[in-house]
Amino acid sequence: MGEKKWAEVRPREDYFRILNPDGSVEGTVPEVSRQELLRWYEVLVETRTFEAMVLRLQRRGVLSVAASSRGEEASGLGAAAALQVGDWLFPAYRQLSAVLYWNAPVDRIMAGLMGNTPEHIREHLPLPPEVPPGVNILPYPVFLGAYVPLAVGCALADKLNGRKHVSLAFVGEGSTSEGDFHDGLNFAGVLESPCVIIVQNNQWSISVPASRQTAAATFAQKAVAYGLPHERVDGNDIFAVYDTVKKAVDRARAGGGATVIETVTYRILDHNSADASAAYRTEDEAEYWKTLDPVERFEKYLFNQGILDQATKTAMEERAEKRLREEIERGRAVPPTPADNMFLHHLQGEAGWSTQHQRDELACELAGGNPFLDMTGEGMQ
Amino acid sequence: MTRINELPVTEEMNLVTAVTHTLRQEMQRDPSVRVMGYDIGPIGGVFRATEGLFDEFGPDRVIDTPLSENGLLGVAVGMAIRGERPVIEMQFLGFMYNAWGQFIYNLANLHQKTGGAMKVPVTIRATFGGGIKPLPFHSESTEAYLMHTPGVRVVCPSTPAQTKGLLAAAIRSDDPVIFLEHTKMYRAFREPVPVADYTLPLDKCRVVQEGSDLTLIAWGNMLHYAIAAAADVAAKGNASIEIIDMCSLAPLDVAPVLASVKKTGRCVIVHEARRTAGPGAEISALINEYALEYLKAPVKRVTAFDVFFPENQIEDAYLPSSQRIKAGIDAVLSYQF
Repeated sequence: MGEKKWAEVRPREDYFRILNPDGSVEGTVPEVSRQELLRWYEVLVETRTFEAMVLRLQRRGVLSVAASSRGEEASGLGAAAALQVGDWLFPAYRQLSAVLYWNAPVDRIMAGLMGNTPEHIREHLPLPPEVPPGVNILPYPVFLGAYVPLAVGCALADKLNGRKHVSLAFVGEGSTSEGDFHDGLNFAGVLESPCVIIVQNNQWSISVPASRQTAAATFAQKAVAYGLPHERVDGNDIFAVYDTVKKAVDRARAGGGATVIETVTYRILDHNSADASAAYRTEDEAEYWKTLDPVERFEKYLFNQGILDQATKTAMEERAEKRLREEIERGRAVPPTPADNMFLHHLQGEAGWSTQHQRDELACELAGGNPFLDMTGEGMQ
Repeated sequence: MTRINELPVTEEMNLVTAVTHTLRQEMQRDPSVRVMGYDIGPIGGVFRATEGLFDEFGPDRVIDTPLSENGLLGVAVGMAIRGERPVIEMQFLGFMYNAWGQFIYNLANLHQKTGGAMKVPVTIRATFGGGIKPLPFHSESTEAYLMHTPGVRVVCPSTPAQTKGLLAAAIRSDDPVIFLEHTKMYRAFREPVPVADYTLPLDKCRVVQEGSDLTLIAWGNMLHYAIAAAADVAAKGNASIEIIDMCSLAPLDVAPVLASVKKTGRCVIVHEARRTAGPGAEISALINEYALEYLKAPVKRVTAFDVFFPENQIEDAYLPSSQRIKAGIDAVLSYQF
């Protein structure tokens, strides 16, 4: 066991790229202010810092499982930065940079990673009174691909009501094998839904390589069958991602319908802390992709342009470290979720007889009683 | 809640025209109600349940979609979280297996998963049930699959007037509701249906007739077979049968069932669904757990069998008939400990 690994198949590089791995640029860099570029960089720093902290907590047994988006941060961030206030974001699994860009509360993320219910988190970690307006973000889907039809419907609701919002959904390349992906794209094409679907192709779906997901030359070209425009970009190039997604978002907002964008990137670490990627892929592969790192590439560009200097970088890293440590501690300080929370928010109105009865049973059990002594249905005496 | 008998102006409707009438009324009342599905536009649905709506409301309110139950359901959920009230036509309940992903992962789960922050007010109108001899997978009674899923309501009307009140309530509910329309009943009979709008509760069963010797539970088309069987039994002897229309299947309205069985001491449950782990199993288990000492006989389930819905030639032997229901009642009534 474990002797045979998948043969490495590098993706074709006939994709759109602006920012080269050495930090040089080709073509036209999108118009983005210095301040915004620094904001991007700070989000990248925060994403790496937070994920490193989370992995350490998992190793210490604080979290049961943890996953990382290392190497893929530009795909999430470039896309998120192309959205506007009021738009809708349907994340997949590795878009922490996207949600951090839109100020997702890290303390709540942490409390969620700890396994608390949303009701409990809201109760114990209230938002500050003044929250800047942002995009609407759905919770992680777990079952990947299932958000594609939702994003299409969400955008359709905006279109039917004359609202100029855009919905953007992420899927991994593995999810393109799911029916949901195809259902969503087909409906998006026919109903002219103003949405953007991003296939974040990180080459691996746990242990199955991209070459095993499709015999097609690219994931982007799947859009052809649905009559949708498609683009394929270097997912480790934040300028290429931003520029391409921005054009697709603008087009959707102007009534031009949906676009599919494949961002070609690589999952540097294991699928999650329960995975062992050494069993199915070679070290060389990850080493090669590390040379294409999206953060280092962007950092070189910022240094070359004189936008970032060492002192600013160090200050940013220290600020991120301090802020995230505080947020994580706040998230960890949330008391354990009461078991009764599992019964909340299934249906509106009064709970049905069976739900109420089972809720009472659990309360009885937790109070040390025997929950099975009701023989008449009239309740625990 | 309006009392139906306080609404004097009525029109004769059958079940399918009651559906059309209610959809029209709800669409006129609320612009966020949109009817979606395939074949629901110009043709008005394969059973004509949406007849005339496309002409009246146009393609943005009556949305003919590509032929994918899963896509339809997922897109409807996406619309619903944005304040729309999609009413989906699931052409046959037996086609819904294709939509199981969106049904479980999003329709049923999203409200709970977001801690109540998002609501999913989708109504799925699904035709179901046997007796019209169509093709395979057009006659399924698989409500048990639905009932086993938290986060959704399942209702099943058995008369035109009930159809109107329950469908209007389903559309106005902020919960996902699966509204089961029995194809055999679509044009089976007419009754006066109040023209003014009204709703009926989604979580209450209906006591059709009171009785003291046996509780007979059914829903959908089977209710009418049960009523006929009960009348037959009553005509031949002095047994007094209480009939409950279990129109609210999820959440199950348990209290009236237990109260009835405690009174009668006997129960027969009738359904078209397969027997094993069918809805009758749950009802019978509840009676066993909470009314055992009142029972004068075992609870019997008069159901279809644990097979796929069979070919046309033999479907009558598969479906419970009034005769089979009567045999069930006789067996329970004559049982002696």
